[in-house]
Amino acid sequence: MESIPDDPHSALAAADDARSRLTTSLRLPAGFYPLLATGIAVQVGAAAYGIAAQTVTGVAIALAGVAVFLAVAALVLHRFSRINGVRVDGLASQVVLVAGARASLVYLGALAVAIVAAFDSRWWLVAVAAVAAGFGCALGVRHWWHAYRQDPVTHARGASPRVLAVLAVVACLGCATLLVLG
Amino acid sequence: MAGLDPLIHAPTRLELVATLSGVSEAEFVTLRDALDVSDSVLSKHVSALVEAGYLHSRKGVRAGRRTTWVGLTPVGRQALRDHVVAVRRLIDAVE
Repeated sequence: MESIPDDPHSALAAADDARSRLTTSLRLPAGFYPLLATGIAVQVGAAAYGIAAQTVTGVAIALAGVAVFLAVAALVLHRFSRINGVRVDGLASQVVLVAGARASLVYLGALAVAIVAAFDSRWWLVAVAAVAAGFGCALGVRHWWHAYRQDPVTHARGASPRVLAVLAVVACLGCATLLVLG
Repeated sequence: MAGLDPLIHAPTRLELVATLSGVSEAEFVTLRDALDVSDSVLSKHVSALVEAGYLHSRKGVRAGRRTTWVGLTPVGRQALRDHVVAVRRLIDAVE
């Protein structure tokens, strides 16, 4: 037979309070957004150059850009985990996969502009597009972070670190294959 | 509709699983501080819920020292959802 809580209202309120105590205490590490924006800008710029160059050096530069971005993503997520004592897969997905719809559009749009500009050797435009991609993606993560603070249960979930690592490896191999075959 | 879950009915256990529902994993020490309980009390609840399949735990390292990370399993997440629905239903019935 079911036992009945002494005060169901209080039990739920206390559980919500406990969750809020933890999630409202979470802090993003210092320099989180600038670092992330820089990592994405470097990746977009390197990818545009590598695709336009269509040489082995270009492939190496494009892959180096991916490596820089992944290193930055790993660094900011590690620092987040270290200072807060928690892991939030939703945040990792936003950072590594640019999972927000608006951020994804900004990223893909800026990457397309950067690639076209690189083929025309308009390097100033490549730089502008790369910075726009970084800025837009950082804004997307900031938007997600505010949504997470409002409703942590809905936004906490995302791809696990293992899945993200596999996707990163697959993305690197895919880029290299496409660039080499192209 | 599912009924009250005796495994997460106790206030501390309900607070524990509710807290974990807002993150993917939390360090033992972080949970202890958030719930304001002793190491032994938290350890006992975590062990019972791990055994029931509601939580998973793993050993890790943070700032050079060994630590335990705890997270909610899909079974635990569903159990929490069902339990909250059952408690709300109870509240509605009383009111």
